Amino acid sequence: MAATTSAAQQHPPALTFPRPIFAALSPHPFLQAHLSSTANDRNNSSKAPFRANGRTPTEFRSPGINTGSLTHCNGSAVVRLGNTAVVCGVRAEILKEEDIPGGRTFASTEEEDENEDEDDTEELSTLRLLVPNVELSTGSTPQHIPGNAPSTFAQTLVTRLRNTLLSTRLVRASDLRIAYTPSSAGSDSESEPPQVKAYWVLYIDTLFISIDGSAFDAAFLAILAALRNTRIPRAYYDEEFEAVLCDDDPKSARVLRLRGLPVPSTFAVFEGRDEDGDAEGKLEWILSDPDAFEESVCKESVCVVVDCSAAGASASRKGSTDGAVVRKIEKSGGTVVGREDMKVLVGRSAERWGVWHKALKEQI
Amino acid sequence: MAANTDRRRINAPSGGTSAPIFAKTVKDPQYQQSLRPTRTRGPDELRKIFLQTGIIPSASGSAYLEIPGQPRSSSTLIPSSSSLKITASIQGPKPLPRSAPFSPSLLLTTTVKFAPFATRNRRGYIRDSVERDLGVHLESALRGVIIGERWPKSGVEIVITILEGDEDGWWGDSAGEGSGWGLLNVLSGCITVSSAAITDAGIDCVDMVSGGVAALVREPSQTGKEGALVKVLDPCPSEHQDIIAACAVGYLAGRDEITELWVRGNVQEDSDQLIEGATHAAFGGLTVMKEVLLESLEAKFKGFTEKSTDAKGGDSGGDIEMSG
Repeated sequence: MAATTSAAQQHPPALTFPRPIFAALSPHPFLQAHLSSTANDRNNSSKAPFRANGRTPTEFRSPGINTGSLTHCNGSAVVRLGNTAVVCGVRAEILKEEDIPGGRTFASTEEEDENEDEDDTEELSTLRLLVPNVELSTGSTPQHIPGNAPSTFAQTLVTRLRNTLLSTRLVRASDLRIAYTPSSAGSDSESEPPQVKAYWVLYIDTLFISIDGSAFDAAFLAILAALRNTRIPRAYYDEEFEAVLCDDDPKSARVLRLRGLPVPSTFAVFEGRDEDGDAEGKLEWILSDPDAFEESVCKESVCVVVDCSAAGASASRKGSTDGAVVRKIEKSGGTVVGREDMKVLVGRSAERWGVWHKALKEQI
Repeated sequence: MAANTDRRRINAPSGGTSAPIFAKTVKDPQYQQSLRPTRTRGPDELRKIFLQTGIIPSASGSAYLEIPGQPRSSSTLIPSSSSLKITASIQGPKPLPRSAPFSPSLLLTTTVKFAPFATRNRRGYIRDSVERDLGVHLESALRGVIIGERWPKSGVEIVITILEGDEDGWWGDSAGEGSGWGLLNVLSGCITVSSAAITDAGIDCVDMVSGGVAALVREPSQTGKEGALVKVLDPCPSEHQDIIAACAVGYLAGRDEITELWVRGNVQEDSDQLIEGATHAAFGGLTVMKEVLLESLEAKFKGFTEKSTDAKGGDSGGDIEMSG
């Protein structure tokens, strides 16, 4: 892929470099040369420019998912996104009622929770029933050396993951409650309402084996796949032992009833530099699913979380945004993406949702 | 669990949580005993080893090792025994910071960390003494292998993540907990996987080191008599009720040298026999490693020749011109 800038065609080339050295010495012109070369050379707009990694700007990396491989987890998943590889393990432990600080109790389970719109985010976040954490210092990248405290990047990442988990209301609090109905033998009064004796706490630990960009997408999808794979044993309050016991029969274990399927897609905006002042064509490219090299030269990034599960897979295949519910948009740095661009990005995310939906469905 | 908060991570409920207790194991001891795994291999037979190199592209060398455990039972949610899953990543050799004192040879740093979900009881996020101890053992096993004089003023970081570790004993025996038998297997796995990663990184070594474990176990007693002592290679601690002694080695098969030796328990008179057993186990690991490394080398070489013929065919893949 010989990328020749227009200036170099007039003068004899002064210097030539092999690709990796060019990329390391001047990353920004390297990516710009790639993106602008095909568009300028061949005056045919149908041919999309290529990025340094061989993908077109709108091309995502194809996902690979493998679930249920860890022995000591209730649910686990390994997700691969190009060179980014993530392992996620979900472990359920019991939080006893007497250990709940402040002894707060939440809406009783009386009005049984088949209600879809039950707002349980407060219950989940106050009791800290979801404990997501990430580990980056596994030699996954030279930037994160073990022995140090979690870096700013790791802390930001885990906070974003937790916020997304809670705001998309993925996990139902009713799935995590362990209720107990006192046996009212002898008394003929109406049976007492069930009381919550304990909660399941989900420890969601995500380990990065290797990072090459789009860490948030990979981590969240690993969490999603692991949660879909999670089996919670049937738990009950045993009057004889006065403790919560579980049933080890796999048939009585149940899956989590997740709400929808929110899928994040990350985009990076590459702003070209117009040094000669003869701007031909556009100088901004919005790159889907950036890798580590692209992330290092892009200042502006957008993350869109969409959920098309209400509309079904058919809507997403057409690339239309009808039926796609935007669950979250995060944008930082730069001023390129406006309202029109954002619409396009939501469309691209909806398309991406279909790919993940298919990959996740194959696992079950 | 202490309620110390870590402001850099998401914390668990401050009241602490407990692992689930399964009703049948409490109420029916007979049922619990029926879940006990037993060794189905011969005493000299090793478990299968899966090894792969080059799993982390951004690291200079990396490897993944897996020793599968017993298949998951379909009648219970309680896993009978653990498997071993370890990743190793090599960062470097790279120059030491200017502030560091002069070092005539390569500085080796080893970090071993269990994943929070690696064992039956959840692990913490901060390295504990067991993990630091394993790191020191691993460093001593590797230091004698690497030819450090070829990299003065440089350092190399070896990062080991244990996704799943062998257990110290069967979960039903309370005595097994904390005895540390499983750590020997973990150490031997760490030695093998980091050796493969070092070779993948192309760091000069005198030979390939590999890890092996042998143990002295008492056979389950029948009719009240004490069972006989048997030497087994590659023991899975949860399959043996009574381990008397165990030994892990880092072994250089080509030179017949031992770089690391860790013996636990009462070795009786025949300590040499136990060490020899461990070297036999290490040799088994080495044969797997050799095959895997040769395969990865072949794949690399194939990719290289294809690329060079590509470059001859057209100017694609060639140099990029840059105006000065």
